[in-house]
Amino acid sequence: MSEEEKMNERASSGQNDLQAAGSSGPHGSISRKLRDFYDAVQEEAIPDRFLDLLEKLDQAERNAQAQAQ
Amino acid sequence: MSMDQESVDRSFKRDLLAALPNLRAFAVSLIGRHDKADDLVQDTIMKAWANQKSFTPGTNMKAWLFTILRNEFYSQMRKRGREVQDSDGVFSERFSVHPEQYGRLDMQDFRKALDQLPDDQREAIVLVGASGFAYEEAAEICGCAVGTIKSRVSRARTRLQELLGVKGESDYGPDAGVAAVTARAFGS
Repeated sequence: MSEEEKMNERASSGQNDLQAAGSSGPHGSISRKLRDFYDAVQEEAIPDRFLDLLEKLDQAERNAQAQAQ
Repeated sequence: MSMDQESVDRSFKRDLLAALPNLRAFAVSLIGRHDKADDLVQDTIMKAWANQKSFTPGTNMKAWLFTILRNEFYSQMRKRGREVQDSDGVFSERFSVHPEQYGRLDMQDFRKALDQLPDDQREAIVLVGASGFAYEEAAEICGCAVGTIKSRVSRARTRLQELLGVKGESDYGPDAGVAAVTARAFGS
């Protein structure tokens, strides 16, 4: 699919969603609910366990590299 | 190690961190439980880190991470067999922490409806409708044709509409009995 087709497609699906939302149509309300749900999770703070994990992975890699040299 | 390699490593970690909130929301959408979703995200981070040499800097890190998470999700599901979904449990856990959440009852209904979709339809509508991927990117992540993604999204929409629409009618609309009486009273 060409870039132009892609853009047309995105534009038309966006328009459909907006139209449906404007008339409180089912597609608009489904799309909105999905985004509300998803965004609520996305806006939560990144749990510390992931930050700790990345820090440890980073450190382990540095140690391994230091040893290799 | 050269400075170049070091800056590549730093940007890998930075980009991974930047993608985490979105990746986590995808995991919660697939699994329906925060604790298990976070386990899956952790496994994904480990896998991504171990395979970072296979990531081409400058390409779409987000899509790469989503692909790893999705593959991990399905391979774990195949190993364990899917556990029974506990939608009510999810929400009592989730929303007791955020009781102020706007429209939470509405969102609970939506979450339950999403859980009832087949896995392939759920991931398609989430990737395209919420994670911010184009149909083409979603197709690559799921390893299928663009047309397949489109039809899955369309079927997911229709199904969600049915699941939520029917509920809306019975909650707010006049019930069939009342409607029939009204029709008789005002009929010829």
